Amino acid sequence: MTDPRVTGRARYAEDLEAEGMLHARIVRSPYPHARVTGLDASQVPEGCVVLLPEDVRDLGRYGVQIRDQSVLAGRPRHVGDPVAAVAAGSARAAEEAAASLFVDYEELPAVPDVLQAVQPGAPLVHEGHELASTGAAYFGLRPQQGTNVCHRFRIRDGDVAGGFEQAEAVVDETFRVAGAHHAAMEPHACLARWEQGRLEVQTGTQTPFNLREELAGIFGLEPERVRVVCRPMGGSFGAKTFLRTEAIAAALARKAGRPVKLVLPRDEEWQTLNRHPAVVRVKLGARADGTFTAAQIECYADTGAYADSGPGVAQKMGFAAPGPYRIPNVAVDAYCVYTNLPPNGAFRGYGQMQSTWARERAVDLLADRLGLDPLELRLKNLLREGDRYCTGEPMHDVHYAECLERAAEAIGWRDDRRGKGLSVILKGMQTPSRAAIAVEAGDDGTYVLRCATAEMGQGAIHAITLLAAELLGVEPDRVRFPAPDTDVVPFDTRTTSSRSTYMMGRALEAAVRDLQANGGRRGFGEVANAGGLDPDTGQGVASTHWHQAAAGAEVRVDEETGKLEVVRLHTAVYAGRVVNRPGAELQNEGSMIMGLGSALFEEVVFRDGQVVNPNLSDYAIPSFADLPERMTHELLEGESGEIHGLGETALPPVPPAIGNAVASLGLELFDLPMTPERVTEAIERRVGVKA
Amino acid sequence: MNLRFRLNGEAVEVEARTDEMLHDVLNRLGCVSVRETCGIGVCGACTVLLEGEAVSGCLLLAPLAEGREVTTVEGLGGDDPVQTAFAEVHAFQCGYCTPGMVLAAARLLEENPSPAEEEIRLGLAGNLCRCGSYVKIVEAVRLAARRKEGAWTS
Repeated sequence: MTDPRVTGRARYAEDLEAEGMLHARIVRSPYPHARVTGLDASQVPEGCVVLLPEDVRDLGRYGVQIRDQSVLAGRPRHVGDPVAAVAAGSARAAEEAAASLFVDYEELPAVPDVLQAVQPGAPLVHEGHELASTGAAYFGLRPQQGTNVCHRFRIRDGDVAGGFEQAEAVVDETFRVAGAHHAAMEPHACLARWEQGRLEVQTGTQTPFNLREELAGIFGLEPERVRVVCRPMGGSFGAKTFLRTEAIAAALARKAGRPVKLVLPRDEEWQTLNRHPAVVRVKLGARADGTFTAAQIECYADTGAYADSGPGVAQKMGFAAPGPYRIPNVAVDAYCVYTNLPPNGAFRGYGQMQSTWARERAVDLLADRLGLDPLELRLKNLLREGDRYCTGEPMHDVHYAECLERAAEAIGWRDDRRGKGLSVILKGMQTPSRAAIAVEAGDDGTYVLRCATAEMGQGAIHAITLLAAELLGVEPDRVRFPAPDTDVVPFDTRTTSSRSTYMMGRALEAAVRDLQANGGRRGFGEVANAGGLDPDTGQGVASTHWHQAAAGAEVRVDEETGKLEVVRLHTAVYAGRVVNRPGAELQNEGSMIMGLGSALFEEVVFRDGQVVNPNLSDYAIPSFADLPERMTHELLEGESGEIHGLGETALPPVPPAIGNAVASLGLELFDLPMTPERVTEAIERRVGVKA
Repeated sequence: MNLRFRLNGEAVEVEARTDEMLHDVLNRLGCVSVRETCGIGVCGACTVLLEGEAVSGCLLLAPLAEGREVTTVEGLGGDDPVQTAFAEVHAFQCGYCTPGMVLAAARLLEENPSPAEEEIRLGLAGNLCRCGSYVKIVEAVRLAARRKEGAWTS
């Protein structure tokens, strides 16, 4: 039987239907910061259901790390913040009904930029920061009350001032990374309905249990009174994490007494979730022989109007910032900062691309200053087996040098460095977390897997099915993997941070052992990885194991137009053990291509708080025409055989490898994306220096 | 208006608004693989074949299909060389763009039965895959081309 994805039989959340269902549309604020002073629903056609502030007054606030969000905003804090919603018999009728609802606003001062937002006296997006008590607020949050900083994370390791005193050369530069948009091909879509006081939500989500917890909190229900069923997603890349549209659909369904479906129009996707724009300052010092002596790094993550998972993103941006190097003295300050932009949250790479860009560019600048080969400088300082990271944790199963050597070899670095660049990264995996799975035997020799791992195209169903078949000693077609349903599957932290094949794979091994030891009918397996960091010192265990990769790029620059072309791109990624080779290759290639978009052109452009390019024409994503002339990658396997997730690892090294390749031509770039305008400016700067 | 055309080889008759786009009508007729994604004709997820030509269903007014032949991926039958090559090579991740990609590739091979890699990249540049499965899609199209050619020469 041919895969349903090629025959047109694949179904996603947006295809959900229910008897008597209504279609929803959200009414959104046109202002970045305002107060709603009046709502006039008198012109809304009869038969439509309107959700107004009074309909949600009994509902609780939400937010997985900081409880800062309401189902409808009486004081919208970004353009696109939902202020009301409607439901009607068709999507078109709902669109017309939403347009006939009139809202009066009183504008308030807005802060559109992360560095303005941290200035004393900046307008406050939120007056106070209330910590969430959900499972996603698992680390020590450090909101700075009375400011726009909703989380501050620090690493303090060694004596940084002393370290810089020992340095022969010091680089101190500030780098900027633009906001990017996930642009999953399928928009956010969900269907909500109530039955006898129970809420059922079917949706495309990576985080069914976090969503259940949030919905239960909002509607004042026991978590067991909420059922979340995950539909396969037409892409997510972090966009479909935590609560997005589901509470509005559920509140409309409650009022209507009928099922309500909500599918976001394309332009509203950009008002719903983007990637954190960031400013990263890196100060890095080394002795004359290249030995690193100290690093001081500041990260400012712009989380927009609501924190969402921004504190976690800022923390990971911070703890991955020093990179896979031995640096005896390290200080990191990472800030998650509110602005009046649409919320920013999880995005493939989870903050680590932003700090990786800055650090890997700084390493090349330092090599230049010391007159050293950037490859040799990196190899001299890379972490080796058993080394201690700046968090205090020992590093094991270490393959950074191997990855970097492979990348260098692939682009012919040692033959001729001109037009070529390298980068090497580490990336954390969700720590702490839990995963559990049940395996049930059928009477016909088949097995059913009950687990919460969500499918968004990353191939988790296939990989876990293959693992199960191998462990059970059956063909993969004897294993079934139904859609995750919180009524049925055991708890799992979430399908994020490239953790599922590793964590669920280990839970599966335990479940199969349990099944075999107990009569072969049913087995249950659960695993947890422990750890966490002290938020004020950054000491502890940041990651059970680290994702490791390097990239090499070769570029061509048209000095007339500033056009930057990537001729050759190679990544070497440590996989530990490859479970599903085509799937692993697809994840690597997809990560590289998404990295290419972030490197060259993807940028959410804001003016007065408005997204000015909320469509796939003005916000370009990579097409076949944007691929490098030659793009290759390799998956390195290790003797330990421990599976390493591959969902994101090949993304963060791509932009700095390209940036460093451009730098080898004398063109120093500090900001992403590397648009022709920025390349042209770098050409002018270089010419200026020469003159 | 009452709209009549041939869909995947069968005559259909359907009520449609004159300002409706073809993908909406096709969705109503059960061909949900025709996905409106960008809504402005740049992503190719709503690609259908109109008289054998690849067009964007989100830009084509439904009445323009009157009396003509429309093919969606549901009409390829599942054993088209392009479909089987995509499945074998795993030339997709989430699969959302795949129906449009398969149709665009089928049309490309009609026009150019043995395209070079560069010609495949250019020919499919109007179909976006956010998962970034492009490398394997090129591989699948080359495999389909070899198989189609084989059918003529063996």
